[in-house]
Amino acid sequence: MSFDVLWRYAPSLASGFGVTVFCWGAGGALGVVLGFLIALGFRAGAAPLRWALRVFVEVFRGTPFLMQLFLLYAGGPAIGLRLSATQAGILGLGVYSSSYFAEIFRAGFAAVPQGQVEAAMSVGMTRFDTLKRVILPSALVAALPPIVNTLIVLSKETVVLSIITVPELMYQAQTMAAETFTAFEAIFALAVFYWLLVEVVSRLGRRLELMATRFLSHEAL
Amino acid sequence: MRPSVILHSFGYFAQGALATVAVSLAAIAIGFAIGALVCMARLSRQALIVRLGAIYVSVFRGVPLLVQLLFIYYFLAKFGVDVPALAAAIGGLACSSAAFQSEILRGALNAVPRGQGEAAVALGFRSVDIWRRVLLPQALRISVPPLINEFILLLKASSLVSVVGIAELTRVSMNVASSTYRPLEAYVGGGLFYLAINLCLAGFGALAERRLSRAGVR
Amino acid sequence: MGAPVIEIRDVKKAFGAHAVLRGVDLDVAKSEVVCVIGPSGSGKSTLLRCVNFLESYDSGSIRIEGKLIGYEETQGGPRRPMSTRKLREMRREIGMVFQHFNLWPHMSALGNVAEPLERVRGLSAAEAGERGRAMLKRVGLADKAEAYPGRLSGGQQQRVAIARALAMQPRLMLFDEPTSALDPELVGEVLEVMRNLAGDGMTMLIVTHEMGFAAHVATRIAFIDGGRVIDVGEPRKVLHESREPRVRQFLQTYHDRNAF
Repeated sequence: MSFDVLWRYAPSLASGFGVTVFCWGAGGALGVVLGFLIALGFRAGAAPLRWALRVFVEVFRGTPFLMQLFLLYAGGPAIGLRLSATQAGILGLGVYSSSYFAEIFRAGFAAVPQGQVEAAMSVGMTRFDTLKRVILPSALVAALPPIVNTLIVLSKETVVLSIITVPELMYQAQTMAAETFTAFEAIFALAVFYWLLVEVVSRLGRRLELMATRFLSHEAL
Repeated sequence: MRPSVILHSFGYFAQGALATVAVSLAAIAIGFAIGALVCMARLSRQALIVRLGAIYVSVFRGVPLLVQLLFIYYFLAKFGVDVPALAAAIGGLACSSAAFQSEILRGALNAVPRGQGEAAVALGFRSVDIWRRVLLPQALRISVPPLINEFILLLKASSLVSVVGIAELTRVSMNVASSTYRPLEAYVGGGLFYLAINLCLAGFGALAERRLSRAGVR
Repeated sequence: MGAPVIEIRDVKKAFGAHAVLRGVDLDVAKSEVVCVIGPSGSGKSTLLRCVNFLESYDSGSIRIEGKLIGYEETQGGPRRPMSTRKLREMRREIGMVFQHFNLWPHMSALGNVAEPLERVRGLSAAEAGERGRAMLKRVGLADKAEAYPGRLSGGQQQRVAIARALAMQPRLMLFDEPTSALDPELVGEVLEVMRNLAGDGMTMLIVTHEMGFAAHVATRIAFIDGGRVIDVGEPRKVLHESREPRVRQFLQTYHDRNAF
């Protein structure tokens, strides 16, 4: 693959990378927020709500991400949901990851020693304050490493979006490959790029984890 | 939404589901063999081999699966090797799974309490017997729950081989969607079949865990 | 009297910059029961583990029935580590009982006892099974032969561990705080087995906190602190008449509780 091929396609590849990062960021944020709300729903909700949430989580953890994307993008219109590919991609990433984040938050809540909650109740703290000042800090510290891990895994899932024609990096690379007959080189470069990206993000993630954990534990104290 | 559409294509879905399970079984078995080798490499005494093992794990965990699958597909095409798409797909899934399985095995070996190996050393066991009779049986038992989890993940990952044309459950769903013009029903139907497979696996996993704890490993 | 079964001379060992053993001398004669006592961090467990070379020692010598363990005998010059094969052969004759039993959970009690007999002593499955059952009987667990460790109490597990070591017919036995991990009411059954062993003439080196046991069963007691033997002698002498202030200080709490 000659260098000027890369040069010619640099803008579209860069835009593709931008779309990847955007979808990952938006989808991840959506997933974390949704997952957190679901976990709260598990804790505080009435039985029917908890049941519905459980079904939701099991469905989205038990089916492949690609199927979920197809469902949203191709099946959406049948229930009045007309999404562009990118919108479907972000929504898909958000909903898919929320099912994992919900479990992570749930485990985080469960990891808070019951004794701490009892101590708060025995001095008469309101349920809201107990949640805010006692449960959440511990729960978030416990949840942080798996959240970081899941976000890293999610970044790899963004390539699946190319199948529903979201113009992210892989899609652009494949377009370039098809137009210039350089399929092998393009995919190889893509593999190396993602490998390096995941390595770098993993290391950064670990460092961020350490910093945030220290910050959160100070907050709790 | 018309559920009758799903029922109408029940046979196709079932075939796709079977193909999904078959592909995943083949991939996890081959992946186990490769993963065991990679794990041994990481425990080797030669620094170079340890490094190679670490690189394998890093590459096959870091590169997205879809990219890996397409890479194998184009790699074989470029060098004119005529391998059926199915073999390439299973091979790709296996290589990827092997990276995760080698980490599971490594973790399991670390989880075997040190004292057990020590007792064997103190009694004068040979190295090969310590591995064969004390360490490996324990490590394999410890690996079973995470390996079952890996199998569930692999089942879901197998949906990606639909892009290289393998007629597993996702591809069948796509076919049903395009032939009936009812994508919602098609993908809900496919999803239900995936959930059904998962349910069976979850039951199997619970059974396996109960049997393992009965053998007194706790 | 003959050569000591265990001869420890000026043994030193450091973990990095931290010196754990600073020149230990100790002998154990045939059929002697020597109990090693001392505060935590004194190096007593490390010393015991050096005797069968589960830990290496940096300088000095440890001889089992006159033979140097861990290193080849060399006339001057730097020492070479002993070959794995020779080390294994020596270890066959040394029995060890661990604080946390270290039974193999995927084998039954009989399985645990018979396995070394088959793998290391090369007995047939039938012979190993027979000898195994005899050993389990000796420690009072004949009826638990088919039970798995997960179903046995701590005291029973430790007795199986003793049977496992004993089945190998070792020349001597090492005990690393054998009752420290047991609930108090289970300690007695293990000490009983050890007392019987001593009565049968087994050479034993025991690291323990059980002062009562040491007082009544040991032929000698050695007090170790800071990586050195501070005092050694007959139980009465060390426990009640020691002139070493550190020994008296350590034993004060036991005296206060009328432990022996």
